[in-house]
Order: sequence, then C-alpha cells, then structure tokens
Amino acid sequence: MGKYIEMIRIRFLMMLAYRTNYYSGILIYSINIGAYYFLWSAIYGNKGEIEGLSVIQMTTYIAVAWMARAFYFNNIDREIAQEIKEGKVAVEFIRPYHYLMMKTMQGLGEGIFRLSFFSIPGMFIVSLIFPIEFSAAASTWLFFTLAIILSFIVNTQINLLTGVLTFFFFNNDGLIRAKRVVIDLFSGLLLPISFYPGWAQQVMDFLPFQAISYIPSMIFTEGFQGAAVYEALLFQVVWAAILIIPIQALWIIAKKQLIVQGG
Amino acid sequence: MKHATIFFLYVSQYMKTRLTYRVDMAMEIMSDLLFQAVNLIFILVVFGHTNMLSGWSRDEIIFIYGFFLVPFAIFGAFFNIWDFNERYIVKGEMDRILTRPVHSLFQIILERMELESLFGMITGIAVMVYAGSRLDLTLSWYDPFVFLMMVIGGAFVYAGIFVLLASISFWSDSRTSIMPMMYNIGNYGRYPVDIYNKVIRFILTWILPFAFVGVYPSAYFLGREEWYGYAFLTPVIGFAFFGFAIFMWNIGVTKYRGAGN
Amino acid sequence: MEKVIDVQSLRKDFKSHSSRSGLKGAFRDLFTRNYKVISAVKDISFTVNEGEMVGYIGENGAGKSTSIKMLTGILTPTSGTVRVNGMDPHKEREKFVRSIGVVFGQRSQLWWDIAVQESFRLLKKVYNVPDDVYNEHMNHVIESLDIGPLLDKPVRKLSLGQRMRCELAAALLHNPKLLFLDEPTIGLDVLVKLKIRNFLKEINEKYKTTILLTTHDLTDIEALCDRVVMLDEGQIIYDGKLAKLRSNWGEGKQIEFQFGEDVNKEKLVPLLNELEAEWTIGDRPNVFVANVVNEEHVISEVIGRVVAAHRITDIKIHEISTEEIIRNIYEEGMLNG
Repeated sequence: MGKYIEMIRIRFLMMLAYRTNYYSGILIYSINIGAYYFLWSAIYGNKGEIEGLSVIQMTTYIAVAWMARAFYFNNIDREIAQEIKEGKVAVEFIRPYHYLMMKTMQGLGEGIFRLSFFSIPGMFIVSLIFPIEFSAAASTWLFFTLAIILSFIVNTQINLLTGVLTFFFFNNDGLIRAKRVVIDLFSGLLLPISFYPGWAQQVMDFLPFQAISYIPSMIFTEGFQGAAVYEALLFQVVWAAILIIPIQALWIIAKKQLIVQGG
Repeated sequence: MKHATIFFLYVSQYMKTRLTYRVDMAMEIMSDLLFQAVNLIFILVVFGHTNMLSGWSRDEIIFIYGFFLVPFAIFGAFFNIWDFNERYIVKGEMDRILTRPVHSLFQIILERMELESLFGMITGIAVMVYAGSRLDLTLSWYDPFVFLMMVIGGAFVYAGIFVLLASISFWSDSRTSIMPMMYNIGNYGRYPVDIYNKVIRFILTWILPFAFVGVYPSAYFLGREEWYGYAFLTPVIGFAFFGFAIFMWNIGVTKYRGAGN
Repeated sequence: MEKVIDVQSLRKDFKSHSSRSGLKGAFRDLFTRNYKVISAVKDISFTVNEGEMVGYIGENGAGKSTSIKMLTGILTPTSGTVRVNGMDPHKEREKFVRSIGVVFGQRSQLWWDIAVQESFRLLKKVYNVPDDVYNEHMNHVIESLDIGPLLDKPVRKLSLGQRMRCELAAALLHNPKLLFLDEPTIGLDVLVKLKIRNFLKEINEKYKTTILLTTHDLTDIEALCDRVVMLDEGQIIYDGKLAKLRSNWGEGKQIEFQFGEDVNKEKLVPLLNELEAEWTIGDRPNVFVANVVNEEHVISEVIGRVVAAHRITDIKIHEISTEEIIRNIYEEGMLNG
C-alpha cells in the first residue's frame, strides 16, 4: 500500500511544479461557468423551473459539475496508450506493482491536487460572482463526497479500458477522442440527464456514464431527495464493480499477447 | 510560389501516410462527426425546453452552429497546434525546425496538419443548408464571396488565438492547461452574445474574439441588421489577430531557449 | 584564407529557477520563486577558416551545444558577435541556414513515416536545389555512403547506422559550405564509424567543406581533426593542434609488467631511483605499471632493471591515449599554455 501512496504523493508534487496551471485554470473555469450561467439564464427566460430544477439550482449544477470534473478528470488513457506505443509497458510488467493500479493512483494524485488547488478556491471565487446555493445539510455533503469518489472510480475505469484497448489497435487516438466526447455528453456535464427526452434517458440508464457527473451534481444541488440518493449511489457502486470485469479480462489477454509477441 | 510547391509536396506526403493507416483515418473522421453531433444534440435538447433564446429561434442557433463548423474545420486542419509546447519545445524538435530555410511557423503548420478535419466543412454547410431552408433564407450573387471572406476571417481568429497561446511556450516552458480549455471558450461564440453580461461579451469580442467565428458573421446571413457592423468586422479582426500572433511568434523565436536547459 | 566562422566574446545567459525541496518548499514555490542566472557560454572567441575540420569537445554542460546552437542560428546570443559564412545566423536565419548543414545525432532530420527518398525530395524543394545540381551531387553522396538500397524504406525501419548515413546525406543535400555534426557517431558500430569518417574526409577534400564536429568519441577527432577547441564551464581552455595537445600532455608512456612472483610496491620503488618514472598499481594481482617519459634510454633502462630483478610473465607498452589526456586536463583544471 505504501508504494501506491508514494505514487499519489509524487504525482501531486509533479503537478505542483507547474504553477501557471492554477492561475490560468481558475480564470478559465470561471469564464466557463460564467458563460454557462448566462446561457442557462437565457434558456430559462421567464420559466421558474425546468425538469424540477430552478435556475439557481441549474447554475449550481453547472458549477459543481465543472469543479468535480477537475477532480475525476485525468489523461491516463492517453498516457497508457503512449506507454504501450513506446513499448514501456513491457518493462512495467516486471515491476513489483500492478500497472493499472499504479496509473489509477497517479490519476488520484492529480485529482487530489486539482481538488485542493483548483476546485475549492475556484468554487469559492465563482460563488462570489454568481448565485450559487450550498446545502446546509451535513448529509448532503457526506453523500456528495461519496459520490465524487465513486465518480472518480468509474471515470478512471473507463479511461483504463480505453487505454488498454491500445494493445489491440495500431493507433488509438480516434477512440480516445470519441470517448471524451461521449463522456462530456452522456455523463451529464453539459446537460442534466433529466433534460433528455424519455427514451434517451432510458437508454442512458443502462450505461455507466451518468455515474460520472450527473449523480454527484444532482446530489450536491439536492435535485435528488430521499431514496433517489441511495438509488443513485447504488447505481455508481454497481457500475464500479461491473467495470472491473472487462478491464481485468482485457489486461490478461493483453499480457498474454505481449508475452507471445515479445513486446 | 516556393511555399505553394512545398505545401503541395507536404500534402501529397500526408495523403500517402494517411492512406496506409485507413482505419485510423476513418476513426478520426468518425470522432469528428461525433463531436459535431454532440453540440447539435445540446442545441436540440435545450430547445426541447424553450422556444426562443433571447429572441433567437432554434433554427437560427443551428444556422450559427453550421457556420461555425466551416472556419473551425479550416482551423482544425492547419492551425490546431495545441501540443506545440510538448512536441516542439520540451522535446526539442524546434531545433530541427530552426535549421531549415523556411519560416518556422509555416513548417510547423505543414508538419501538424490534419486534413481530415476539412470534412467538418461539409457537415457545416449541410447544417447551414438545413437551417437556412427552414428559415427561408435567400442568397444574393455576392453572398458566396461574403461567406468566403467571413470563413477566412473566422479561421484566422482561431488561428491567431492558438498561435498566440503557442508562442507563450517560448517564454515559459511550463505546461499549462489553457489550450484544451480554449476549445470550450470557443463554443460560447456560437450563441447570441446579447445573452451574456458585458464582461463576457467584451472578452468574446475583443480579447478572445470567438464571437467572430460564430454569431457575428452569421448575423449577416440571418439578416439581423443590428449586428451588421460587427459582421463586416470579421475579416478585419481575423487578419489583425493573425498578424499580431505572427508578430509575437517571431519575437518568441528569438527568445527560444532550446531543449534541456 | 577566408574565415568561415568568426566568434567574438560570445556569451549566453540562461535565467533559471531553482525549486525548493519537499512538499513545503513546493508550496512556497507557488508564490515566489528563486531565480538565478547561469552563464552557459562565457565570452568565447575563436575563428575557423575554410576547409578546416575542427573538433569541438567538452564534458556535458561545458557549453558545447549551447554555442553550436548559437552558431547555427537556433539560439540568440546574450552578447557578443557571431559571423558564420559572412552572415549573422539569427538575424538572417532563413537565408543563413541554406549555407550550412546540420546533423544532430540524437534527433532525426528525416520524416519518420515516409521513405528516405521522399524525405530527400521534400528537402530538395525546401532548399530549392535545381535538378541537375541535385542529381550530380547526390548520386555521388548516395554512392559514397552506400545508401542506395535504403532509399525506398521508411525511416522507422532503418537501423541506427543506416539512419545515420541517411541523415548525413540529407544534411549535405544542398552541398553546404559548412557542416555542423553533433555526436554523429553515437551508438554506431566500428564499421559504420569508419565509413562515415572516410566519407567526411572525402567531401572535405572534394568541396573544401568546413566541418565542426562535437563528439564524445575521441577516436573520431583523432581520425578527422587537426585542430581541437576544448571547452570547460563555458570557456575555451584549449584551442590548437591536436598533435600539440598530445605532445604537451601525453608525452609519457606506460609499461605494464605482469610479475611471475609476489611483489609489492616497496620492493619495486628502489628500481626506479634517479629515473623519470613512477609506479602505479595495476588492475590485477602482481601487475604494476611504470609511467615513464617518452625517451628511449629511460624505457630501456626501466625494462632492463625490472627484468634483472624479478621474474616477468608479460610486458606491454602503452602510449597514453587522447582520452586519458583529456581526462587529466579536466581533472587537473585549466590548461597552462
């Protein structure tokens, strides 16, 4: 376990070395959230609420969705693809740790870094400028914390899956790009899932993507109440468990292939 | 003349390499299409809940999006140098570029081009035709020429912003997350700027003038006369921004520190 | 003779930030940073004449590559003047680089995915070389470097030695008057090295091409260069004939004795009394090395005395290699004279 904590720490320090990231990053996130705020205000017009969300809840939803993205987002799919292409992964097999676990921990180091230097101060600044509601209930915060940890897990699993697929394609860039687009749309980052037409919502219930952004953001804005919260968290847990299967399967096949081909 | 021959040589080399990896190329075109669809879906879903966006109809917003895709495709094909810092500064490839007798930015554009992006022009024009026919827009004989100017202006706005951001790498080689975020900001120029407050409107018009790659030039074709002033500024802003970016790039090259220092 | 390179009090300073250690230090770096100015090249001056082959040597960080990059127009000098082929490299970059050829050993000039000859074709256009000139000159280059069979292969499929030969051909495509070679033989096997050296000698004779060569492999320098320029900590510490360097610093010889019996230094030392010679302990048991001046009677005397006193199973005489000379110079610091 110690070695994985060390990975988190190293990645955290690496991120800290690039300081221009925060100044520019916070500014740009603020512009982003600001633009969305006005866009949604215009969409709401005179309507009090759409699909059960008021305009203030909607703004909060967007702000928290972007800030949570800073935590769960990482580029490990691209990194894995790069390391596979450069043949570095073969070396990783002989190291005394699980490669995918190590990548996950690096992602976590990045996430914790961005959460503390980016999301929390960013959220504070944004809440001064735009009308955003924070819940007073401790339980909401607790559930939200759980939800973003799970959202990190699910998003990272999807990244691992895309990354490992590089073993089977010559060039994986297209798939990685497509995945990113799909996640932006179906995770609920751009639009709450409840805004989609009914049939689309039903389809998305069978896909893992809403575990990434929609669920934590809805919990934070208290768009989910009572039993819906538990159901949402269960949804995340179930997907986090299911996704282990294809990752492990692909990893084992990839390993075999690597041994046969000798890298 | 010489630049044109070199350009076509690069293009033919590019085609040769690309055609050897056909699956990749198909994947890339598919992911571009998917990306274009996502934004369209966003608009459609939003207009499932409202009829007007501060006085602009669904079809008008779709038309703006269609227009946006055309200059964006040109930008994507030639000026999309978001990984300049990583590839050329950190890895030291800039050294090689600087030992060749062609302008450094021109060489980088040729090496980094992704002609697949040009398919976006077709999507864009198709979207415009669809929205335009629903809006009963009519074309004058000179409109295609105006369109061409607007598209070039818009592409130069994007190119100017990205070249400027790439030039920062000459002064500071620390990685920044600005580049990927610029794509998001670029999206806001596709909505009528009157929905934003003054600060954001000012930014989108004069600082990061993405509004000139979407709503302003489209306003001309949509016959929204109150925006004509801005619409006709599009090529001016495009050339001014791109010119300024090249100027900064040239200064940046003299500040280049080389790799590994 | 015409001066190809003329460098006067050339200097390059880099501003760099030092990061503090540990987590706490990293947090402090967020707000304030320590900057310091490092001079990579400190006011160096030298000239190179047409047709010379100059070895440019120094340890890592001595300022070699920084100064080469200023000579090739990649970096702008902080102060001082550089004239290369009569031009200011950085100011007239695009015109200037037409007159030079550059090979960076660790970096490819060729396009990775396309066939070598396609790369050549692109470069031919980039450098605007007319067909007839190209054909005559390049046919010769291709033949001498023996790369004809490689031309239709993509660069990524070539071995290092094959790639390096193609790189060299690419750098010479526009027949430049001046050629910069940065570690051209790094990682190559002996045969390829020999081929490249012979080729360089040949073009130097045929076209009077001036060559500036940096390398870690001093045998390259010995084989090619009359003159060496040696850098240390951003300054030139030696500029002159390689032969003179050898005679000033490498005047001794080493005689290695393998004794057939147990000996120790105490027993051996008296043997060299009154002679200009000294013992060092060898790398195997009962091996000792006598370092002597390069004079016939001293050498004979040492061997005679040792052989008379002890049983010998083997004896070797070494000349001190250039590498050792250079190592000695760096270890002992500045060169006197």
